[in-house]
Amino acid sequence: MTDEPNPVSSENPTVEALIENIDHPKPDLSSLEVDREDYVIETIHLHKRYGKLHAVNDLNLRVPRGSVFGFVGPNGAGKTSTMRILTTLMLPSSGEAKVSGFSVLTQPREVRRSIGYMPDFFGVYDDMKVWEYLDFFAACYEIPESERPGLINDLLELVDLKHRRDDMVDKLSRGMKQRLCLARTLAHDPEVLILDEPASGLDPRARIEIRSLLVELAKMGKTIFFSSHILADVAEICTDIGIIEAGQMVAQGPIDEMRRQLLPHRQIVITLLGRVDEAKEKLMQVKGVQEILDLKDEAGRKRIQVNFNGEDAGISELLTALTSSGIPVTNFAEQTQDLEAVFMRATKGIVT
Amino acid sequence: MRNPVRLLLGNPVVLKELRGRMRGPRAFIVLTGFLALVGGFAILLYLGMNAASRTNTGQVDGGEIGRTLFAGVIGIELFLVTFIAPAFTAGTISGERERQTYDLLRTTLLPESQLVMGKLFSALAYVFLLLLAAIPMQSLSFILGGTDLPDLFISFVILMTTAIFLGTVGIYFSARIKRTLPASISTYGVALGIVIGTILLFFILTVVTAPLLDRSGNVQASRTTEWIILIGRGALICLNPITTLWVSIDALVEQQSLWAFEYTFQGGSQGATSTVTLPSPWLVFTVLYLVISALFFMFTTRRIRQIDEQ
Ligand SMILES: Nc1ncnc2c1ncn2[C@@H]1O[C@H](COP(=O)(O)OP(=O)(O)OP(=O)(O)O)[C@@H](O)[C@H]1O
Ligand SMILES: [Mg+2]
Repeated sequence: MTDEPNPVSSENPTVEALIENIDHPKPDLSSLEVDREDYVIETIHLHKRYGKLHAVNDLNLRVPRGSVFGFVGPNGAGKTSTMRILTTLMLPSSGEAKVSGFSVLTQPREVRRSIGYMPDFFGVYDDMKVWEYLDFFAACYEIPESERPGLINDLLELVDLKHRRDDMVDKLSRGMKQRLCLARTLAHDPEVLILDEPASGLDPRARIEIRSLLVELAKMGKTIFFSSHILADVAEICTDIGIIEAGQMVAQGPIDEMRRQLLPHRQIVITLLGRVDEAKEKLMQVKGVQEILDLKDEAGRKRIQVNFNGEDAGISELLTALTSSGIPVTNFAEQTQDLEAVFMRATKGIVT
Repeated sequence: MRNPVRLLLGNPVVLKELRGRMRGPRAFIVLTGFLALVGGFAILLYLGMNAASRTNTGQVDGGEIGRTLFAGVIGIELFLVTFIAPAFTAGTISGERERQTYDLLRTTLLPESQLVMGKLFSALAYVFLLLLAAIPMQSLSFILGGTDLPDLFISFVILMTTAIFLGTVGIYFSARIKRTLPASISTYGVALGIVIGTILLFFILTVVTAPLLDRSGNVQASRTTEWIILIGRGALICLNPITTLWVSIDALVEQQSLWAFEYTFQGGSQGATSTVTLPSPWLVFTVLYLVISALFFMFTTRRIRQIDEQ
């Protein structure tokens, strides 16, 4: 017996699936109708204190109807606290929170009717089958007995658990439990889904499955409010994001606007062997170039940074402008400045 | 208003709990264990009584053995109910919290009263099943004589009332304290209080009022004082399931009265005896504890309806 690890082989279906997922298509969100005048979730000067700790500090959250809203922040930022207030599980210290126009303080039952909630950590009953689990919650949502079998089938189909219908709930894998819980949140056809880190603890495949499920649900007209610290995930499936840090909302709005606001331009760093001034001159003529900065020399090579506003085609034009004049370029690279940069810039790392 | 039976059977919590409780070997094992304990105890008691009465008189008094057997079986049933009712209920709400299923349940539209009722009913239904299954054992004493159907009726009502009361107290602490262990301890504290505590209080009352009593324990004082002592004793008797059963069956045997009995004043107006009719203790016990249970039920519902601070 050897302890040699299995070489990565494309014959292994799991490995194949993982590879396949590396370049999965981006979900298309263009068909979503987001009404930015109508807020399904709204908090007004919301505060939550645990003793001395100010976990939610004057939060004014606004989630537009029909949006997929990513609520992003580092550990301990106050995401779960906010969500527990919104789901009528916890009282705020002060301020007001409304869901579908109902106050979480005075109309908790109406709020519960319009939300489907998936907590960050949840348990399942150990003495129930999958269909019984859904049947139980459907009954708790006052769905008549006669409608339940059909509903359960539909829900299981939606989350791809039909084949596990008669298995015991506690024997399901983490990802399956997560999907089952998601199915449960849909039992009463709520307007809003409030999902606390729906993708945490899942493998890449399950993560992507959950994500596409969320997009699917959004297309069915549901508003989805979910939290995450993985910005890459959020960026792909969100129409809107809110960044929370130390209990305070750092920025919120439509994702494109956030990108523009927090990432004003693209940065291209070019390394040259010489003829720097000539290069600068040529580059300034390309459309979209805003400014050119000198960077520190690196191993005797000149480096400049081009701040650029435009599409990919424009970037290739930059390179063409240099090479066509015979200017020696040794390196040409756009600084990766994705939303992670927005995140890092917005959150200064002050975590309570 | 909806039919209460349908409301109960349509209660999702009842269905879920019974489904879970009756699945697998656990329910069967608990029932078998319960019956084995009660049965084993009954047999031991019978053998012991039989031997004892034979040596004393050389003749077996069937009625005596029957009554002792009956009392013994009820005693052990009461003992088991005081253990089982808290065990089945003190973890119901806190257990949902500990298993992290509480939040899921609370964000549904399930009314708080249905949650509490469902948990209570499914726990008590099982206790009811246990007591029902033990009835044939109690009825053994019918063959030997000395007891009759009303005795059985009274004992069953008292046992069930005890179970209902301890069950609601269990759920109350479970909702209130949030953790199962301290909730169980508190519930057993209350159980101990009503089974042992009230008897201790009775003794204390007897000691305190000793100067007013004659050698056989009868009251020798003014009518008012006798009333006060009577009510004090009565209250303590009616708070305890054992003394309640004892005095109620005594009234049944001595006065052939199920619902009420007559108390004869002993002291007071220079020997002029007069009597007063009092409700049989089991009636007072049942009404009292059912009312308290209803109150605890209400408190529990209210506690669950409250949104948590944390
Ligand atoms: N019940 C509680 N009692 C005391 N402090 C709490 C409680 N719940 C949360 N906190 C504190 O409040 C702050 C915010 O917590 P919260 O769980 O809302 O953050 P989060 O953004 O969800 O973090 P994560 O990404 O780790 O889930 C943290 O500092 C946490 O320690
Ligand atoms: Mg959290």
